[in-house]
Formats: sequence, structure tokens, C-alpha cells
Amino acid sequence: MWKVTFKGLAGHKLRFLLTGLAVILGVSFISGTLVLTATIQKTFDDLFADINRGTDAAVRAHEVFSDFGGAQRPNIPASLLAIVRQTPTVEAEVGNIQAFAQVVDKHGKPIGGNGPPTFGLGWDPNPKLNPFHLVVGDPPRADDQIVLDKHTADTGNFHVGDEVTVLTSRAPRKYKLVGIARFGTVDSLAGASITLFTPREMQRVANVKNQFSQISVVAKPGVSQTQVASDIARTLAAHGKSQYEVITGKALTKETQNTVHKALGFITTALLVFAFVALIVGMFIIYNTFSIVVAQRMREMALLRAIGATQRQVLGSVIGESVVVGLLASAIGVAAGVGLSIGLKGLMNALGFGIPGNGVVLRPIAVIVGLLVGSIVTIVSATIPARQAARVPPIAAMRAVALERPINRVRRVGIGGAIVALGIALLLSGLFGGRGLLFVGVGALLALVGVFVLSPLFARALARVIGGPLTRFRGIVGSLSRENAARNPRRTATTGAAVMIAVSLVGFITIFAASANASIGSAIDQQLKTDYIVTVKGSGGNPGLSGISPELAKRIAALPEVQSSTPIRFGEVAVAGSHTFVLAADPKEIAQMYDFGAVTGSITDLTPNGIAVSTRKASSKHLKLGDLVPVKYVKTGVVPLRVQFIYKNNGLVGDYMISLANYERNFAQQLDFQIFAKLKPGVSAAQGRKAIEPVVARYPNAQLKDNAQYKADQKSQVNQVLILVYVLLFLAVIIAFIGIVNTMTLSIYERTREIGLLRAVGASRRQVRSMVRWEATIIALFGTVLGLLMALFFAWAVVRALHDQGFTKFSAAPIRLVIIVVVTALATLLWASLPARRAAKLDVLRAIDQD
Amino acid sequence: MTATIPPTKTIAARAVQASKIYGTGDTAVHALDAIDVEFPSAEYTAIMGPSGSGKSTLLHCVAGLDSLTSGHVYLGDIDLSTLSDKDLTRVRRDRVGFVFQTFNLIPTLTAIENITLPIALAGSKPDQAWLDRIVDTVRLRDRLSHRPSELSGGQQQRVAVARALVTRPEIIFADEPTGNLDSRASAEILGFMQRAVQEFGQTIVMVTHDPISASYANRVVFLADGRIVDELRDPSADAVLGKMRKLGGE
Ligand SMILES: Nc1ncnc2c1ncn2[C@@H]1O[C@H](COP(=O)(O)OP(=O)(O)OP(=O)(O)O)[C@@H](O)[C@H]1O
Ligand SMILES: [Mg+2]
Repeated sequence: MWKVTFKGLAGHKLRFLLTGLAVILGVSFISGTLVLTATIQKTFDDLFADINRGTDAAVRAHEVFSDFGGAQRPNIPASLLAIVRQTPTVEAEVGNIQAFAQVVDKHGKPIGGNGPPTFGLGWDPNPKLNPFHLVVGDPPRADDQIVLDKHTADTGNFHVGDEVTVLTSRAPRKYKLVGIARFGTVDSLAGASITLFTPREMQRVANVKNQFSQISVVAKPGVSQTQVASDIARTLAAHGKSQYEVITGKALTKETQNTVHKALGFITTALLVFAFVALIVGMFIIYNTFSIVVAQRMREMALLRAIGATQRQVLGSVIGESVVVGLLASAIGVAAGVGLSIGLKGLMNALGFGIPGNGVVLRPIAVIVGLLVGSIVTIVSATIPARQAARVPPIAAMRAVALERPINRVRRVGIGGAIVALGIALLLSGLFGGRGLLFVGVGALLALVGVFVLSPLFARALARVIGGPLTRFRGIVGSLSRENAARNPRRTATTGAAVMIAVSLVGFITIFAASANASIGSAIDQQLKTDYIVTVKGSGGNPGLSGISPELAKRIAALPEVQSSTPIRFGEVAVAGSHTFVLAADPKEIAQMYDFGAVTGSITDLTPNGIAVSTRKASSKHLKLGDLVPVKYVKTGVVPLRVQFIYKNNGLVGDYMISLANYERNFAQQLDFQIFAKLKPGVSAAQGRKAIEPVVARYPNAQLKDNAQYKADQKSQVNQVLILVYVLLFLAVIIAFIGIVNTMTLSIYERTREIGLLRAVGASRRQVRSMVRWEATIIALFGTVLGLLMALFFAWAVVRALHDQGFTKFSAAPIRLVIIVVVTALATLLWASLPARRAAKLDVLRAIDQD
Repeated sequence: MTATIPPTKTIAARAVQASKIYGTGDTAVHALDAIDVEFPSAEYTAIMGPSGSGKSTLLHCVAGLDSLTSGHVYLGDIDLSTLSDKDLTRVRRDRVGFVFQTFNLIPTLTAIENITLPIALAGSKPDQAWLDRIVDTVRLRDRLSHRPSELSGGQQQRVAVARALVTRPEIIFADEPTGNLDSRASAEILGFMQRAVQEFGQTIVMVTHDPISASYANRVVFLADGRIVDELRDPSADAVLGKMRKLGGE
């Protein structure tokens, strides 16, 4: 039987090439993701091991709470340094602190801020503890001197001796560049832009007095890390400072590495989800290919059965084919994945994420997962058609035509309907019952599968409807396309299903983004009464990590043209035990510039000891006006705040608000995320701009926007995410399109005689091409229509579920959906030229003579 | 030997020194070996000969479905060997009709759509009176909206004949059009073709194995080993049988 298997493969190279391609693409995405993340992980593991090599122990505060970026801890007093020094096994110790600092290039543009962080550090005089090594120049000795990492210096084209403007929480300031340093073995830490100040200047930059985020320690020779750590802990305890944490250098390295692993794990999961979407689309293609192949070989199968092959042997021969295809394609996919990861690494480096080192890390897991997933997907997809093949009765060999099994309508409606119902139930319980993303995802997938099971029931009718206009515009060629698309409902349904899944995701994200934009737009129009808003340049509006010096807000407030203005700050807190963001503003000022809608109390009631809560959180946490709620800050610990205002959340201001005074008291770093401003009556917008603009210009990372610009800016941020998702979904779309060509190729092969006959009675090559292309287009549109209907439903449900979080508007984005339809149609017309040309080139005679 | 006809008649199609060789060297097969043959207008010609003698090849070459290795075929005044694929397609669509042994119809089209297919492909409208006349001649009026799968083999061949007639082609080629039918259905089809020649002045060239079928024709041309070996005018079944026996094999 193996002979039959290989003959089967060799005889139909193209179809298996196309089937294989679906597997190859999916597997290469999976393996590529695994290889890339392993490479990045290895890079950072090595880097941190290298950087912390000299650190034997570290002293710091206990973790208050952890976010994606790692643990958050308060600073420690510099006085601990003297206590640590008293430990006999300590040879050297140094304290350091980190805070926002951003370099401005020679053209006045801030460097970085679009992803990798930008910050400042104190220059450690102890070379064992300092991860930086000077390439040229000297360490900073005076407070107006700095050292830059090489990557930043190169980006800004800075040389030793240059004057460099640095943005910090203070007003922009000029420093003298005295040295350029490498970080460990690399030019930069993953693209981060780091400015190195004197330790004293760093205290000012961080807006602290005699505080460190951590003290690093070198042990005396011959003393182990655990030894020195426990010695320090004892010394601290002896001084009544046992509330601080002491860990070994190794533990610190492990912890830093784990933080990176966690962040990478998040990215890996996200990428793998898209890879699996692509593979699921691929499964339909594989399933379809094997179904058609089996249908075409029914007679061969029956003949095999007639001459004595058992059901199991026939099953084995088809499964055998799928094993060969699966393994081969997966192997190619893994190899392609390695290539993909190399390309992606280069791309990331080009985008400024410095991933040093040559080559990539190929772990066995990337190979094993790739091979396993690819093979399993192929074999599973081939099993159903294989079982059908095995069940071919020997008598079928004698019949002229191997009849397709009729569709069992009752069973199909039952099974398909049940799957759809289950899927929708899961989806809704995930969305509205708070069961989470997994339920939503699995529910959506089930709903799609259910529709796929149902779709052969209406594939014929829908294909005829879609092809209707063709008959009018394309005459006989149009009706031939239409009837061809309708003649095999199962095939059209399966091919269409792959398109449906891809399009449903594309459509969903499109509608979702449009709804987000509409909601933001309406919130800005209705709630925001500002004239101007100052925002942080770049996408680096990373609350807490970067921002605008509060100096700017003060200067704007002092302008005679400005009636009211307030800085907007963001911070992380835990309200009644749950980790969340809080927004801070000046209550009296923001009251003039923001319409909070239906409320209890007034924002002007908000004191430095109070908190404002959204209606949603107020009801979920059972809070009412006057209640005390415990709020935990990193810097100051738990502070009870009184609920003084309850407002309607609309996505612009989040769930919790505090006053600026409260923020200043409880947060270490003071950076503005935005500045709201309203002009005095009688001051025109142009006059206002003329007054504010020069002030803002002195802060290169700030930019002035009126409401319309602000709205456009918010929308463009949504659209950026949209484009990213489009890119990630592109693979699934490609695979769906491969499916169309695959089906068409197989159908043409099957209809060789028919096409020959058409040619004999006078169909031109062009007409044959056009017929194939339009058939493909009808099938593609069949999937697109179903996909968009599903997308509308999914998006509607998700937007409904997020209503309380500011998704107040549902926008079906009709124009974009029409564009999706048109693009699908055009892309199919173009892409189907491949099988179309094949059909048109069929030798008329051979087509007729075939028996 | 050369098949000739009275000089008064116009010629619908002819082959001049037509050769067709498959393969090269030792394995070369001379499917057609320098054949000269003429098919006069309004005549019903049957081509007979042993299996593998080149009947289908001749038909395909004269019909513009296949090209010669050397020599010429003319359809009316047109030398087919000079035409591009596009022009050949147009010739097939407008000036030639076909009836094959099996698989004559597009399964997704109804009987009437199949009949009018060449006209539809040309993008024009059928002449309704002519269409009615053909449909009535082949007696398909009540089956027009049926698909091929809903028609009997004989009915399918009748649809094919109607399609071949619909463009009023200069010539119709039929390769064993009744090969798959029983004698009654065969007789019906052959009768229609004969009527088409007699009533509409249609030219038909038909390949057949069956002496009775051949007896419907005005003339029978005998082929053997790619050459024309004999010819019979106004044949009877017995006479054809006699000739075939002489050619041997059958
Ligand atoms: N595509 C081809 N390649 C090679 N040889 C061919 C090809 N087509 C036909 N032949 C050969 O050419 C010769 C003539 O074939 P043709 O089909 O014309 O015979 P025929 O008279 O129609 O036979 P039958 O009565 O069996 O249909 C045969 O020897 C055949 O094997
Ligand atoms: Mg033949």
C-alpha cells in the first residue's frame, strides 16, 4: 500500500505543494516565534548575568506590587549605606536610583520614547558594580557632566565635548558630554536610552533627597554570596532596619531574567495565537484537499477494495499520504521559521530594539513543536476524508460516476446548530459572565466551526445569489462561473470556511477599532471642554516611566491668555486590594474643562484626602459617597481615602481620580502625562496658540494640540494597533487564499474534459480564464460574506460587553467592510490567474480524449 | 488513393498532403500519412477504418482541434495551419459544429443553454425561428430546462446535435456520435443528421465503426494506417461491411 501512497503523492505534485504550503507557513510562524523569543531570551539572560557578575548582594525595599515591567518597590534611605558598610564581610557598597531622563538630539527632537525606555542613572564609581564601561572620555565628575550609552550617542551623533539637552522632571537642562559607554558587552540595553549623571545630580533628577532604589554590594574575597547577604541582613536587623530585603547577586540576576521571560512570554503567547489561527485556517485547506483528492480517487479506492484491499489498507494509504505531506511540510516549515526569525531579528534591530549577537538560538523545543503541530494538524485534517475513502464500497468501481454522498440535512442542522449555540453561549459567558478571554476565543472558534458545518446547506443558494450579478454582466461565462461555484456545496463551504475565519478576524478588528474610534471621538466631543492639550511626543506616553516636566504646566498656567489649566498624571495603585491605574488632576481646574456627565457629588469636592470613583467601580466595590477606601501606594503604603465624587466613566479618565496634591504626596516621580488648557473668554484659538506654542517648544518631548488634533492623535493610536493586528492576520489571509487556488486547481483537474469541450465548441482562452477567476471570486466572496456577518456579531457582542469601559458607540464601519469585500474580490481575481491560466492552457484534444 | 468528387460541388473542407506523426525516431507513429481528402458542401461523409487507423486524428485536424505535422487543411478558403489559437477558437465557434461520442454537454447548463452555448460564447443572440426549428427537429421541446444528468444518453446526444446545428456551421464533425447508444436511439440521431443534410443543406463528416450508421451517409471514406484506401458512394450497410472485411481486422 505504501507504493500506492507514494504514487498518489507523485501524481499530484501541485496539489500537495499547495497543501504543504499551508502547513509550511503555519509551522514557520510557530517555529519562528519560538526561535526568536528563545534568541531574545538568551541574549538577555547572558546580558544580565554579565552585568550582575560583580554584584554579590543587593539591599532594597520589599515589593509592593508587581506589574508587567517587574516588581514595584519604594526607595530606601541613603543612610542604609553606612549601616551596610558596617558588615565585616562587605568590601564595597554603592547606592543608585533610576528616573526618567531623555536626550534631545541636535535638531531638537527627543531620542527614543517609542518603545524602549529612556532613563537616567548615577555613575557608579566602583567598576565592579558599574555595568557601564567607558569607550571614550571620562566619568561624570561635575554635576553638569554626563555620560551617554553608545547607542544613544550614535543616534544623536554626539561626541565627547558636545553640549546635550536632557529632559527630566525638571526644566530641560544642558549638560556636557564627557564620556560614551557601553552597557556590559553591548552598545545599549535593548534599545534603552540611558543618561549617566553624577550620583548627586541623579538625586536631583529623580526628585529625591538621599534616597536609592537599591544598594549593590561586593563581598570580601572568599565570602560567598549567601554569606554576605545573611551578614548584611543581620547588621540591618541589629540597627532595627529588618524591613528591608537583602538578596544575593545570583537571585537578583535570576529575578531580572524572569522579568524578561515573563514579558517575552506575553509576546510569545500573542504571536503563537496568531500562528494557531493561521494553522486552523490551514486545517480547512488540508481537509479540503484530501476530501477532493479522495473524491477524485473514489474509483481507484473502490478498485483497490474490489481486488481485495481491506478498509484499513485504504485508510492507511490516505493517512500515509498525510503523514508524508505533514512531516515534509513541517520540516520545511521549521527551516523557514529559523529563516523568518533571523529576518525578524534584523527588522527589530532596524527598528531600534538592540538585540545583539549573531545568529539565533535553536532549541529542540522549536523543532519538536513545529514538527508535531504541523504533522498532527495535517494528519487530523486528513483523517475524516480518509475514513470516507475506506468506506467506499467495492461496487462503486463499477459505476460510471462515483457519486458524492448526499448531504444529510437533518443531522447537519442538528450538529451545526448545536456547535453554534454552544459557541455563542461560551462567547457570551466569557464576555458578560466575566469568564475571561479563553471562553471568548474558544466560543468564537466554535461558532465559526458551527457555521462551517451548516454552510453546505446554503452554500449553493448563497453562491448563486453572490454570482447573480455576474450572469448579467458576464453572460454565459458568468453563469458558468456561478454554477460551478454552486455545483459542489461542500467544497465551496470548506474553501469558503478558511476565508470566513480569516475575514471574520480581520472584520472583527476593523469594526472593533472603528467602534473604539467612534467612542473616543464622541467622548472627546462631549466631555472635553479644553481648547488645547499638551501631550508627550511619540507613542511613549508610558504613564509613570516618561512624561513632561511639571515646569511646563506651571508656565502655561501663568500665561495671561489661559483661564484654566491642569496637569494630568497617571500612577499605579491598589484600590481596596486590586491593582489599577489612577489619574490625578487639579479638581478646581479640571471641573472647567471636563464634563463628567451624570454624577454624585462634584469634582470640586475632591480634597487631597479624597478619591473620585467611576459609577462602575462604585457599584462593583459597593462604594458610596463618604466611604473610606484603602489605597496602597508604592511610596507611602496604604492610605485611606474618602470617596468624594462618583462619575460616569467614558474611557477618557479611567475608574479612579485623585487630586494633584494627593499625587505629589504619594508618588516618587512627578511627570505630567498631559496638560489641559482652556483660554480666557475673548482669546481666539489663534491667539491662544501663539501664546502657548513658544512655551511648549522649550520642552522638546511635549507637543501642543487642539481638540481636533488630539482626537486625530487618539484615533491614529488605535489605527496603529489595528495595522499591527492586520499584519499578524495577514498569514491567515494568505493561507485562506492558497486554499482558493488549491480548490480551483483540483476542480480544474476534475473538469478537464468539460473545459476541453468548452474550448472545442468555441470558448476562447480568455473566456476560460475569466470563468475560473470568477468562480474563485464567488467562493472567496461566499467566505467573506459569512466572515463579515460573524465579525459583525463578534464585534457587537464585545463592544456591548465593554460598554461600561467607555465603548459607548458601535460602528459597523460600513465603508471599510465594503473595502474588505472589494479587496477580497480583486485579490482573488488576480491570485486566481494561476489556476485560470492552467485551465486555459489545457490541451483541448487531451481534454476530449480523456477517458 | 485520392478521394475525389464531382467538380461542380463546392468544398466545405479539405486536407492536402496532410501528415500527422506522433513521436520521433523508432517509435514514431504515422497517424496520418500524406492524406488528400475533400468534404463537399451539403454532403454526409462517413469515415471508417480499423481501430488506430487515424480516423479521429483526421477529424481533429480538419476541425482545427489539432495541428498537422506537415500539409494543409482548408476550411472553405481558410488555411487552418496559419491561424492563431484565438482565430482557431473563433472558427470552431462560428463555422464548425461538434458531436462527440460521450461527454458532449456541460453538466451545469440546461439543455437549452447547452444548445445555445456557442452563440452565447460569441456574445450574440440566437435566431429564434432557427432555434425553434432545430429544437423541434430533434424533438426536445419538453426537455429544454433539464440538466444533462436528467436526460437519457439518446436525449443528450440529441442536444449535442442541436448544439452543432445552432450556429449553421459550414461543417459538422461527429466522432462516433452513436457509439454509446442502442440501435433505436442511434437510428434517431442518424436520422436527424441525415435530415439536416437533406433539408438544411448541412455538411457532416462522421467517424463510425458501424456499417449501418455509415449507410446513412452519401459517401464512405475508408482509412487504414493513416492513408485513404477506399471510398464508396451511396453506401448500403452490406456494401460497407464487405469493404471493411476486405480491409481486414473486422
Ligand atoms: N496523443 C497521441 N500520442 C501518440 N500517439 C497517438 C496519439 N493520439 C493517437 N495516436 C496514435 O495515432 C494513431 C491514430 O489514432 P486515432 O485516435 O486517430 O485512431 P482511430 O482511428 O480514431 O482509432 P479508434 O477507432 O480506436 O478510435 C494510433 O496508432 C494512435 O495510437
Ligand atoms: Mg477514434
